Amino acid sequence: MTGRTCPYEESVAEAARSGEWSPELETHRNGCLSCAELTLVVAALATDAEMLEALDTPMPDPSVIWLRSLLATRERDFHRATRAIIWVQRAAVAAALAVGMAFTPGLWKVARSAMAGLEFSSPLADLPRAAGSPLLVVVISMVVLGGLAFMEFTSLSEG
Amino acid sequence: MALALPRAAASDSMDRATAMDEAAFRHLYQHTAQPLRSYLLRSCGNAALADDLLQESYLRMLRSGFEGEDDDHRRRYLYRIGTNLLRDHFRRSRPETDRLPERDDGRAHDEMLHLRSDVGGAMAEIGPRDRQMLWLAYVEGASHDEIAEIMKLKSASVRSMLFRARKRLADELHSRGLRPGVEGS
Repeated sequence: MTGRTCPYEESVAEAARSGEWSPELETHRNGCLSCAELTLVVAALATDAEMLEALDTPMPDPSVIWLRSLLATRERDFHRATRAIIWVQRAAVAAALAVGMAFTPGLWKVARSAMAGLEFSSPLADLPRAAGSPLLVVVISMVVLGGLAFMEFTSLSEG
Repeated sequence: MALALPRAAASDSMDRATAMDEAAFRHLYQHTAQPLRSYLLRSCGNAALADDLLQESYLRMLRSGFEGEDDDHRRRYLYRIGTNLLRDHFRRSRPETDRLPERDDGRAHDEMLHLRSDVGGAMAEIGPRDRQMLWLAYVEGASHDEIAEIMKLKSASVRSMLFRARKRLADELHSRGLRPGVEGS
């Protein structure tokens, strides 16, 4: 099938939409198969469009759309505003890890010598002395804070 | 109204803030929502889906920060978004859902709405792309070039595709006994 069209097509389409036919155009339409077909389709669609517009089904509330757009805009602004903070946090965690790794060999020696001095099998009465060891406090604190930092880092990555 | 295409693509302005105030939005909505819903409804054949796509079209326009030169410009932009949403919908759908339900199955209210008229029934028998093309051309008065860009088709193919779509719809209308002058059912 070729898309053979009539030169009067645009005029016929316009007349079919508006319903205003000049006598010449009407005569042409009655003798032109393509234009008769076009008239049928255009007039049918125009009638259908009118029928759909006349339906009494309520339109979606524009207030809801407006509100949703505001919420989306605020959410986007929030993410934009917190993006810098998140990057600073990530940089801080990365710097802490780097510093920690740089000092690991030295710390490990200190830790070993300190651990050698600890008596884990000491009786309960000796516990305050062992628990009060500054090195032990530092090690436990690093483990806890390191865990928290790691959790924060992973949650940021997921977010 | 001829549908000239907007110059700014959605992606170009995605990072811009909402440029329209609420009064301007309501004004635009009041003048464009009804015909856009008719287009979406006749294209997808589902009133609930058409309403969803309608809302999403406005939402995307607002989020994009698209200002437009005037209401006509914004209206054309909305049609473009709506057409993209329809395309995404049909792409996600299974092939059989591209064709609208037959008359005598257990259809829902919105499908009844689609098939209530003979024209709606005839439209249901042709493909979604034909429906969109015919509506844009003969209800919205879009030119072939505009249709090509809205529907992401080659401009040179629109004329023949439109001709074939028109022929298919005319055949469906003829089969329902409709002739020029008696098409309003």
